Amino acid sequence: MEPRRAPLSPSRAPAAALAVAALLSALLPAAGGCSRSDRSRTVVVWEQMDPQEQVLFDEHVAQFRANHPEFAGFSIERVHYRVEDLQTQFQTAALAFGGPNLVYGPSDKIGPYSIMGLLMPIDALPGGASELARFQPEALPTLNGRVWGLPDQVGNHLTLVANRALVDSIATDTDTWLRQLRELTVDRDGDGKPEQYGLVFNLLEPFWLVPWVGGFGGGVMDDQARPTLDTPAMAQALGFLSGLKQARVVPLECDYPLADTIFKEGRAAYIINGPWSWQGYREVGIEVALAPLPMVSGTGTWPAPFTSAKCYSINRYLDPATATCTAALLSWLTGPEVQLDLARKLGVQPGDLTAAAAPELQSDPAMIASRDQIAKGRLMPIVPEMRAVWDAMRPFYQSVMNGELEPAAAAAAMQARAVETIEVMHE
Amino acid sequence: MKGRRGLALWFLLPSLLVLAGVVAYPFLFNLWISLTNWNMFHFQDPSFQGLDHFAKILGMIVEPFARPPSQWGAALAQNEFYRIFGKTFAWTAVNLVFHFTLGLGAALLLNRKLPARGLYRALLILPWAMPQYISALTWRGMFNVEYGVINQLLAKVGVQPVPWFSSEFWAFMAPTITNIWLGFPFIMVIALGGLQSIPQELYEAARIDGAGPVRRFFRITLPMLKPVLLPALVLGTIWTFNNLNVIWLVTDQGLPADKTHILVTYVYKAAFFYYRYGYAAAFSVFIFLVLMLIVRGYDRVSRREVY
Repeated sequence: MEPRRAPLSPSRAPAAALAVAALLSALLPAAGGCSRSDRSRTVVVWEQMDPQEQVLFDEHVAQFRANHPEFAGFSIERVHYRVEDLQTQFQTAALAFGGPNLVYGPSDKIGPYSIMGLLMPIDALPGGASELARFQPEALPTLNGRVWGLPDQVGNHLTLVANRALVDSIATDTDTWLRQLRELTVDRDGDGKPEQYGLVFNLLEPFWLVPWVGGFGGGVMDDQARPTLDTPAMAQALGFLSGLKQARVVPLECDYPLADTIFKEGRAAYIINGPWSWQGYREVGIEVALAPLPMVSGTGTWPAPFTSAKCYSINRYLDPATATCTAALLSWLTGPEVQLDLARKLGVQPGDLTAAAAPELQSDPAMIASRDQIAKGRLMPIVPEMRAVWDAMRPFYQSVMNGELEPAAAAAAMQARAVETIEVMHE
Repeated sequence: MKGRRGLALWFLLPSLLVLAGVVAYPFLFNLWISLTNWNMFHFQDPSFQGLDHFAKILGMIVEPFARPPSQWGAALAQNEFYRIFGKTFAWTAVNLVFHFTLGLGAALLLNRKLPARGLYRALLILPWAMPQYISALTWRGMFNVEYGVINQLLAKVGVQPVPWFSSEFWAFMAPTITNIWLGFPFIMVIALGGLQSIPQELYEAARIDGAGPVRRFFRITLPMLKPVLLPALVLGTIWTFNNLNVIWLVTDQGLPADKTHILVTYVYKAAFFYYRYGYAAAFSVFIFLVLMLIVRGYDRVSRREVY
C-alpha cells in the first residue's frame, strides 16, 4: 500500500507556490542577464554567404583574432540565413531593437534597411569615414548622401560560363550561340528528354531576364526609381528567352539548384551564373571558361546584367560596448588582404582599390572576362522600389516561359503591377 | 473553499504570466500595429490611423457585390481576395479530408495484430518527425517535370509527364500532396491512442448483437474517437490554414506566376516583401476572425452528443 502524504495545508500552500514563482522569476532574468552580458562581449554577423564564402569567412575571422589580441575578450559569431530569411529575421529583430552587429549580403537590401532606420551609416562608426577612400566609389552603397555598408567584393553579376570539355569556342553573338546551343543539346536515346543541354540557368527568376532586357536596348527602372517594364525591349527579351525553351536547348523546368546540378554533372555546355558559383564548378573538376553574355545579334548591344557589391552593414542598435571591436572587424573583413584572398580563391572582383590593382588579378584571364562583363553591366538600384519591380517581373516572366502569356502582354502587365505595388508601398 | 481557490490561483500564476507574455502581448501588439500606418517609411515613427486597413480589407470583400448581380460571378473570379480566400479553403479542406481518412485508416490498420507492427508505426510517423522545411524542398525536387522521381515513376506506367509547376491546378496539387504526406501521421497517432482506449467489451457486445464491421465502426469506433479527433481536427484546421512553409517552399513562392498563394503567404509577402506591417497585421486579424468562426463551428459539433 502506498504511503499517504499529508496534504499541503492551505497556510503552507501559498508559500510553496510563491517559492516556485520566485524560483522561476529568479531563473528567467538570470538567463536573460546572462545573454545580455554575453551580448556586450560578442560580435554577431548574420550572413547569406555561399558555403565556400562561409569557410573563408571563418578563416578570415581566425586571422583577425590572431592579429588583434586586444579583442581577445570578444567572441565572434557567424549566423547563416537563406536570402529571404535573412531579410525577414533582421527586420523582426530590429522590431525588438536587437539583431546582429553586422549584416552581410548584396547591396540591394541596404535601401529598405536604411530607409527603415535599421542601419548605422559607416561614418558613424569609430574611424568609419576614413575607410571610404579605400573603395571604388561605385562599389559603395550610397543613399540620401550617406554610405550604408562596406563591400568585400563587387560584381555579383551574371556571366556566361562554359564547360571547356564541351565547348571549343565561346559564341560572342546570339545567332552563333543559338546554332551552337542546338548542336550541343543531345538526345541520344530519342526519348524527347536530352541527356545533354546546350544551356542551363534559373528559368524562374527575373534576375536572369534583366541582362537580356539590356541587350535589347531597355532597362527595368529609370533614374527616378520608376519602373520601365512596358517596353519593346522587355517584350523582345521575354520572346528571346521563351524561344530558348521552345527550341528545347534549355530544360523545360529549371530552378537554380537544378541548373547548378546539371552543369556540375557535366551535362550542360553553358550555364549563366555568378561569381559565387564558379569555384564550385572548378572543385568538381569542370574546366570552366568565363565570357560576357553574347551580344544580341539583332541590336548589336551587349546584355547588361545587374552588378552590385556584397556588403557588411552595421546594425543601428549595435551595443556601444562592441563598437570598437565591430569597427575593427569590419575594417579587416573588407580590407585588401581579405579581398585579395577572396579574389584568389573565389574569383570575385575586389572593391578595395589596392586589392583590385594587384598584378595577378590584372593578368588572370577569368578575372579579365569577369571585369569585361561588369563593364557591360549596370549598377543595380538599391532603392526599395526595386523590390516591387522584381516582384512584378517574376510572375509574368514565368507566365511567358510557360506559354500562357504573350511577351508584349506580359510586359504591360509587369509595368501595371510594379506601379500598383510601388503605390501601396508608399501608402 | 476560498483558500483552495486562492491556492489554485497561486499555482496558475507562473503559467498565466508566461501566457500573457507569449500569447496576450503579441496578440495585442499585433492589434495595435493593425491600427497604425507602420510601414517601411514609418518604421521608426508609426502613427495611429484607426481602422483604415480594415476598411481596405472590407472594400476588397464587398467590391464584387458593388456591381450588378449578373456580374457577380465574373467579378468574384477576377477578385484577387476571393481567389486567394477560395484557394485557402480548398487547401484546408482537401488536406483535412485526406489527413483524416488516411490517418484514421492507418490507425485502424495499426490497431490490429500485425507482424512488425512497431516498424510500420515508426515508418508511418517518419513524415511527421521530419522537419517540414527539408521535406518541402525534397518534394519540390521530386516534382520536377523532367528530373523528378514522380514523373519518372509515372512514365514507367505510361503516364505523360505532369507539368507540376507550370499549370495552376498541378501547382496547387504539388504542395497539397506534400502536406497530406506530412500531416496524416498526426491524426494517425491521435486516433491510435483513442482506439487503444476503447473498451473491447463494447465490440464483443456488439458482435453478440449481430453488428457487422461497418456498423461497429460507425456506432462504436467513431463516436468513441470523437473526443480525441475533434480537437485534433481543430488543430489540423488551424495549422493547415496557416501553413506557410509547405506552400511557400514547394511552389517556390507561388509558382506558377503567383497563382498558388493562400491568405497566410499573401500576408507574409505584404509584411516582409513590401514592408506593409500595418496592413499585414490587419489582414492577420482578419485571418484570426475567420479561424475563430471555424473553431466555433467545431465547438458546436463537439457539444452534440451522438451516443
